[in-house]
Amino acid sequence: MKKKKTDSTSARGKSASTGKDESQNGKGVDIGTMFVKCANKEKEQIAFRSQRNAFFGVEHTDFTKNILNNSRVKYIIKENELYVVGDEALEFANMFNKETRRPLSMGVISPTEKEALPMVELLIKSVIGKPSYTGEIAYYSVPGEPLDAGFNILYHEKMLDGFLKTLGYTPKPINEGHAVILSELAQEDFTGIGLSFGGGMVNVCLSFMSVPIFKFSVAKAGDWIDQQVSMAVNETASRVSAIKETSLDLSKEKDLSKIESALSIYYNHLIEYVIESIKEEFAKAKKLPRIAKPISIILSGGTSLPKGFSHRFKQILDHLKLPVPVGAVRMASQPLRSVAKGALVAASVDEGKK
Amino acid sequence: MISGSEAEVVNSVARFKSATKDQISKELGFSSGYVGFLCKYLVRKGYLAYANRHYSLTSVAIKTLLKEGTPKIDRKLLEEIAGEVGRKIGGEIKKAVKLIKIPTAAAETKKETEQRINIKTDFSFPVDDESASLESNVEKIGAKLEKQRFDIDKSVELFKKLQKRGKG
Repeated sequence: MKKKKTDSTSARGKSASTGKDESQNGKGVDIGTMFVKCANKEKEQIAFRSQRNAFFGVEHTDFTKNILNNSRVKYIIKENELYVVGDEALEFANMFNKETRRPLSMGVISPTEKEALPMVELLIKSVIGKPSYTGEIAYYSVPGEPLDAGFNILYHEKMLDGFLKTLGYTPKPINEGHAVILSELAQEDFTGIGLSFGGGMVNVCLSFMSVPIFKFSVAKAGDWIDQQVSMAVNETASRVSAIKETSLDLSKEKDLSKIESALSIYYNHLIEYVIESIKEEFAKAKKLPRIAKPISIILSGGTSLPKGFSHRFKQILDHLKLPVPVGAVRMASQPLRSVAKGALVAASVDEGKK
Repeated sequence: MISGSEAEVVNSVARFKSATKDQISKELGFSSGYVGFLCKYLVRKGYLAYANRHYSLTSVAIKTLLKEGTPKIDRKLLEEIAGEVGRKIGGEIKKAVKLIKIPTAAAETKKETEQRINIKTDFSFPVDDESASLESNVEKIGAKLEKQRFDIDKSVELFKKLQKRGKG
């Protein structure tokens, strides 16, 4: 196929000295409940562009709009409503003691949020930009089929696929857990378990020599922790989320505040729930390959960020035990970027075949 | 679905028929605070009822837990209790208990059917850019950009090699 170059945009990498486009073909996009992230290779580096997947309605006046413009706060106007978008939406929500609105819910385009689709489109567009040539390959993350929720992911996947096509890409889906494996387990021949603890879901994939053996998701994750804690201690979920993201230390055992205690309890609950779900999938799997060495487990995603998370995970895993020998349990090198990076690995392989 | 620790609490309450927090705590070896927390959660979710400092199973819990096939749940014990409740309050509950087994079988059949039928067609379509008509400064400000030195070439080569080997 002839590669027709298109105009570069703010989402393309340009050299400061030469002004030339330094990015290489192929992109990896992580479309998560909390963040939309895009990875592409620029010489020896990977450029990660990200937007927080949240918005918050404020009073629409010219005065507000000017203030937002002057402070470089992102916003959109839809049907005369003004919405602050991204990280600042969380700050506004906390200021007003209210909740942010989210275009994605439990890992997929929110069925109850009427502004979901244009909002997701805008955020994706702002991180991925235009393709370097018509038909550039973009791998985008999709969750596994949820074990504990009554929806499937087909509509979500097809809408993203169609939108990326409209932008001029050749879109290809990649399971979120599988992307973690491609990002982190090259030294183990892409054999092991990749876990992505996101906002709306936890995604799990067991892979053998890069081939997924089983993959699934559970619809309990970071948002679920926030909601449960907010009910238990009577705080808004946005505020709980802010504390969780900034100061939670799961290795702390003494002098815990009420919110920290509740967060710690629900983290325990979530980890146990995920490990039990993995055990169930092992029990259900009909053909498991013979894996000679103990398998590694990689932890990633925003919900895995609190200090002490991997230690807590190991403790619970030691207690519950998987039916296969487990070697290292470790955090991804960049827990917030591993899905986009893994998707980029897949995109680079496909681009190399052209 | 409930977690393993919650299932253990449910089993314990089922064994006692009606239990205090301390009884459950002693039986399971969990701290009293943790048991209290789990019980509160289970009450809120409708699995347990709380009266006179005693927790007991609700009929909704029995029905749901049997239907879900929750791991660690002592199904035999729950079915016994369901039977007892049924005998006590008569035919209506008995009917409900009998109904419990139907959804499990139905769910299994549905899954088997889904696995058997392989969807070969694909409905692929371009999706309009609804955001194009919005007034926004998002693209002007741009996304947060961070660059990091990562060598993904080795991963790319290895993945390519494994894919080839798989095809071969």
